[in-house]
Amino acid sequence: MAVITLENAQLALDGNVGRVEILRGIDLSIDKQETVGLIGPSGSGKSSLLMLVAGLELATGGRVDVLGNDMTAMGEDALARFRRDHMGIVFQSFHLIPTMTALENVATPLELAGKSDAFERATSELEAVGLADRLHHYPAQLSGGEQQRVALARAAAPRPDILLADEPTGNLDASNGEVIMDALFALRDRHASTLVLVTHAPELAARCDRTIRLADGRIAA
Amino acid sequence: MTFTNALRFARRELRGGVRGFRILLICLTLSVAAITVVGTVRDSIESGLSREGAALLGGDAEITLTYRFASAVERAWMGETALQVSEIVDFRSMAVVNRDGTSERGLTQVKGVDNAYPIYGDVQLSPPMGLDQALAGDGGLPGAVMDGVLIDRLGLTLGDRFSLGSQNFVLTATLEREPDNAGGGFGLGPRTLVRTEDLSASGLLAPGTLFESAYRLELRQDAELDALEASAQQSMEGAGLRWRDSRNGAPGIAEFVDRLSAFLVLVGLAGLAVGGVGVYAAVRGYLDEKTNTIATLKTLGASSGTIFATYAFQIGAVAALGIGLGLLFGSLIPLALSPIIEARLPVPAVFGIYPAVLVEAAIYGALAAAIFTIWPLARTETVRGSALYRQGTDSTLPRPQLRFVLLICALTAVLVVVAAWFSGLLRLTLWSAGGLAVAFVALWLIALATRRVANLLSQNRRMRGRTALRMALGSVAGPRSEAAPVILSLGLGLTVLSAIGQIDTNFRTAIATNLPERAPSYFVVDIQTHQLEDFLTSVRADDGVTNVETAPMLRGVITRINGRSASDVAGDHWVLQGDRGITYSAAPPEGAEITYGQWWPAGYAGPPQISFAAEEAAEMGLSLGDDLTVNILGRDIEATITSFREVDFSTAGIGFILSMNPAALVGAPHSHIATIYSDADAEARLLRDVGNTWPNMTMIRVRDAIDRVAGVLAGIASAATYGAAATLLTGLIVLIGAAAAGERARTYEAAVLKTLGASRRTILLSFALRSAIFGLSAGLVAVLAGGAASWAIMTFVMDTDFAFEPYSAMAIILGGIFATTAAGLAFAWGPLAARPARVLRTSE
Repeated sequence: MAVITLENAQLALDGNVGRVEILRGIDLSIDKQETVGLIGPSGSGKSSLLMLVAGLELATGGRVDVLGNDMTAMGEDALARFRRDHMGIVFQSFHLIPTMTALENVATPLELAGKSDAFERATSELEAVGLADRLHHYPAQLSGGEQQRVALARAAAPRPDILLADEPTGNLDASNGEVIMDALFALRDRHASTLVLVTHAPELAARCDRTIRLADGRIAA
Repeated sequence: MTFTNALRFARRELRGGVRGFRILLICLTLSVAAITVVGTVRDSIESGLSREGAALLGGDAEITLTYRFASAVERAWMGETALQVSEIVDFRSMAVVNRDGTSERGLTQVKGVDNAYPIYGDVQLSPPMGLDQALAGDGGLPGAVMDGVLIDRLGLTLGDRFSLGSQNFVLTATLEREPDNAGGGFGLGPRTLVRTEDLSASGLLAPGTLFESAYRLELRQDAELDALEASAQQSMEGAGLRWRDSRNGAPGIAEFVDRLSAFLVLVGLAGLAVGGVGVYAAVRGYLDEKTNTIATLKTLGASSGTIFATYAFQIGAVAALGIGLGLLFGSLIPLALSPIIEARLPVPAVFGIYPAVLVEAAIYGALAAAIFTIWPLARTETVRGSALYRQGTDSTLPRPQLRFVLLICALTAVLVVVAAWFSGLLRLTLWSAGGLAVAFVALWLIALATRRVANLLSQNRRMRGRTALRMALGSVAGPRSEAAPVILSLGLGLTVLSAIGQIDTNFRTAIATNLPERAPSYFVVDIQTHQLEDFLTSVRADDGVTNVETAPMLRGVITRINGRSASDVAGDHWVLQGDRGITYSAAPPEGAEITYGQWWPAGYAGPPQISFAAEEAAEMGLSLGDDLTVNILGRDIEATITSFREVDFSTAGIGFILSMNPAALVGAPHSHIATIYSDADAEARLLRDVGNTWPNMTMIRVRDAIDRVAGVLAGIASAATYGAAATLLTGLIVLIGAAAAGERARTYEAAVLKTLGASRRTILLSFALRSAIFGLSAGLVAVLAGGAASWAIMTFVMDTDFAFEPYSAMAIILGGIFATTAAGLAFAWGPLAARPARVLRTSE
């Protein structure tokens, strides 16, 4: 059963040099608990496609349907609530909140969802990624690998239906990258989530059930 | 090479404009402009006073005598010395209008003039006419001109009659301007101007009444003022004369302007310090944003010195621009507003551009800019190339090297020395600098404490689930917190405002409730000795009168202490400024406490003895057995201090600094004063009865006098409020700067929170809460510090009770919360509206 469906999804952005077509009609369907790798050269639209699925960008044409919800018809706060309840996102640059400790960063989505045991669950998620001794460190006090593990824990803590990862190893060295990928797939298995992974690395994409190649804003293969 | 490279790099970075330095530019411009405005107005007034010194004085030189006219010998000296002499007499009296069987009375400051008046300048009357014509009178009565305020108060119209003492006058014109009034000082009543010769039948200038005579001299152009002053003092030695000349035509005003402007410059320096916080925050924010550039330059081989110089050049260039703009606005504003300012000033002013003022303001601006930028600049040395690979900047960078700390301390010391030198008020400058330093450290500690408490609260289990509040507390506590700049900048202005609010309210309470319970209804002056008994009998017979106190009253000047000039011994203590009231009494006043020594025995007729007010004696350094020379009516009296006593001036009753044994003074012509304590409904009756029976007596309603003093104090309070407002305005700019500087971080935070599922309401609430926490903190500090300062002032300076006033305190706290929340929310819409994907992609 498809949990993510895109029909002729388009994205165009206004830039300094005029309107730029980013995605030129994407048709895609991803099933529940499927793991999908999105690959392609820089500028092919991989991250933008992920952002459309996350509702962080709104399609300028076509339809984006996630868990039966039309993402193009939802308001900003409704999208935020939808992400809170169903999605976990991991970015290449981690995007932790610098004014919060690791524990607070991980607890935040749980708090937003009104979970009374937010901090207990956040603690166990951080323990699961090997950061039990870094709970009260601020992001600036952590290494890049540690920051990405916090981001993973934050994405997984609400036990999301869908995990979205945008080049999660792009800012890390090979050994740290491997640790993160292992952790990502372990979390995905633990929560039985659907995983969409954007990556430049074919060997990482190969760990997924299916690989989709993008080029120039279209699905190439 | 370092220098050239740095200059080149700096020029390249500034090509993008000074957008990143807007707050630095505004803070410096505002602070320097404020100091320039104050300095320009001060120099304009001093220039005006100097140019019109003779007109303000009413002559090239003036000799003032108390209680008497000049003797024949003195007149002869003046006649020989001057080309022309003009005699003026000045005293308080009651102007009385009889209308339809009732009489209307108004306190007035009477000035009697002769035909030579005014030697310089013109008296302006309405309708326009010559003074001679106005004072010539009409219908057989001498003429008088009067201040419009008194005319309105008495309901007079031109041509109406009124009396001064037992002499009737006809009102011929409204007095619009006296050329020589600026130096006149504080008077309790509006002016009435008449011919002195027309007062001869008034009974108001009898021996012993309280008046002052002044002799204005027109001198030859080549007259040596120093030599003439020495000659006058020598020829009239022991006459108790006071000399002034056109070099400083209105010394009181000049000194007041000088003191007030020095004070305002110091207030300006407080503003500069607050602006400095903004400069610091702006430079730090700018350099934080440049971390990657600095790290890149380092990886490319730039030395720490090159990087320091690169950013020092940029900041120096922007600071120079800010100082230049401040000088420009500060010079142009007084020039543009000169017609309005001149119309409001009681003294002449020559508006222009005064280079010395510009130099002074520029030095202050440059020193402040250097002091507040060195610290963040020095931290560029601690940025490492590895910063390129770290997210965000660690706010706990190591402290700058010792040489930079020493340089900051040295520049601060130079600023204090320069301020003391320019203001000429060493003690006030040191106190102000010390106060500012203490306030800064206190506010900084409070900022630290706020972060600490916020940290504890954010980690408290009870906060779990309160996401917006916990996020706000986390932001207040966390790295790159805005706590220090916001609390420092807002706290200082609010503290001053809070202190003013507390003092003002306590003062008003003291005047409105405490004083009238103990204060008399009337002061009566110029009671002649032969009138005293009848006066007392009549007043005591009134049912509404609860008490009457009287005392003999003379005026005298303390000229010597133990044979030395009094000012050499006791400096410029207020007791030595001009003449003082002196009394005599056989027994200590009722309830008086002799703190040291002994009152003279009954019937004592030996060498004159003095009982002196204990507090003032201690301030002047007087001891028992000291000999004072007191000039009374031109005669020197040598007397010995034999006792000290407590004198309570707070009740507004009769209180004399100096009391002598009766035999020493009883032979001198003098009058008596009285205080009448009565019910409120007896006041009008007393005024009418005493005024009708003894027209020579002047009745001063104590409530009117207190209102007048309260008015003057309100003026000072509003001047201080303007000063605080200027500091507060700079603080608000810094606040806005801090909010603007944090906008990028908030945009990022909002984007991440949105990806995690936070609604805009939750994010906005979190932003509002963190701003409110800063405002609450700054407001609480301000209320505590302002309360402590006002308690100290009321207790130790004003010598009165202090009661904490909650309403203004609440207003300060709410004001602080409102200001920070408004500034924070003003910069929250952008972050809330930004699309998360674009924000997050930009920061990849």
